[in-house]
Amino acid sequence: MAASNIDSAIKLAGAFIGGGLALGGGAIGGAIGDGLAGSSYIQGVARQPEAQGRLQTIFFLTVGLCEAFFFINLAFMALFVFVLGK
Amino acid sequence: MIRAEGIEIGNHVTVTVAGMTLNLDTIWSTVIAGAIVIGLGFWMRSKVTSGAPSKIQLMWEGVVNEVTTQVEGNLGRVHPFVVPLAVALFFFILISNWLELIPTGDVVKAPTADVNLVYALALLVIVGVHIFGIRERGLKGYLKHYAQPNLALLPLNIIEEIVKPFTLALRLFGNIFAGGIMIALIAFLLPLYTVWGADVIWKLFDMFIGAIQAFIFALLTVLYFGMMSSHDDEHAEAEEVAGQNDLELEEAH
Repeated sequence: MAASNIDSAIKLAGAFIGGGLALGGGAIGGAIGDGLAGSSYIQGVARQPEAQGRLQTIFFLTVGLCEAFFFINLAFMALFVFVLGK
Repeated sequence: MIRAEGIEIGNHVTVTVAGMTLNLDTIWSTVIAGAIVIGLGFWMRSKVTSGAPSKIQLMWEGVVNEVTTQVEGNLGRVHPFVVPLAVALFFFILISNWLELIPTGDVVKAPTADVNLVYALALLVIVGVHIFGIRERGLKGYLKHYAQPNLALLPLNIIEEIVKPFTLALRLFGNIFAGGIMIALIAFLLPLYTVWGADVIWKLFDMFIGAIQAFIFALLTVLYFGMMSSHDDEHAEAEEVAGQNDLELEEAH
């Protein structure tokens, strides 16, 4: 009984740490990607203000794609913590 | 499933039929979202005129025009099924994502927060893309395009084709799932008199994210169909002819 408690405690701890690492890495990558996209957008609009409408579509597309990786990491965090750590 | 003292993640109302477990709440949320989309279509149909268009007609026409422009830019010519597929996917995913803003407790949740629906949508798109590729290029041409432009890229192309449905699905799922969790967390963690403020802010942001993800899913569908047709011109982006983009149309609604 005590052994299985320790086992499951270790599994849960490992799951939390793994989930936290996944979220951390995803947040860093997503933020850097969004920042790069935003800076290119600002430079493009500064160079050519009338292109703002067209560039905005591409900007939001890139933001969505970058954030996707963060949310994929989030899905895996949920998998680790709520399913595998049990 | 771990219960974090009141928050239940990933619990569904299920029914077991012939050995398969069906998530009933996803099914009825999907039916509600589909009914809303069809209702919008019929409403426009009843109001369609060639004179001054009503707002609903403007919305539908705007979206169909944008999608047609993208399809023509990517596929060269308009295949008869890509535009309706992309428009249907866009509206269905948009309404599904926005369903969870309605505070019905836990009765009606966003169906796209369930992995099963999202995998089904991605499977539909990817199987359609591959069948379209086989039809367009013939079986030999389809198999050969994995080895283009260089045979050394063959494993990379295969990995890309395997990963595509997963990223397509999990991107949408992760965004909407996180939104749902956040709403539950706000109700759980914050004191009662600030819940309404944080809820409003988060739900507005979730609407924005849901719209972006619907747009990306539909756009990627069109792009995948375009990549699977002939690779004559490698332009990945279509020219936005009108200055309007459908994001502004979404935010106006």
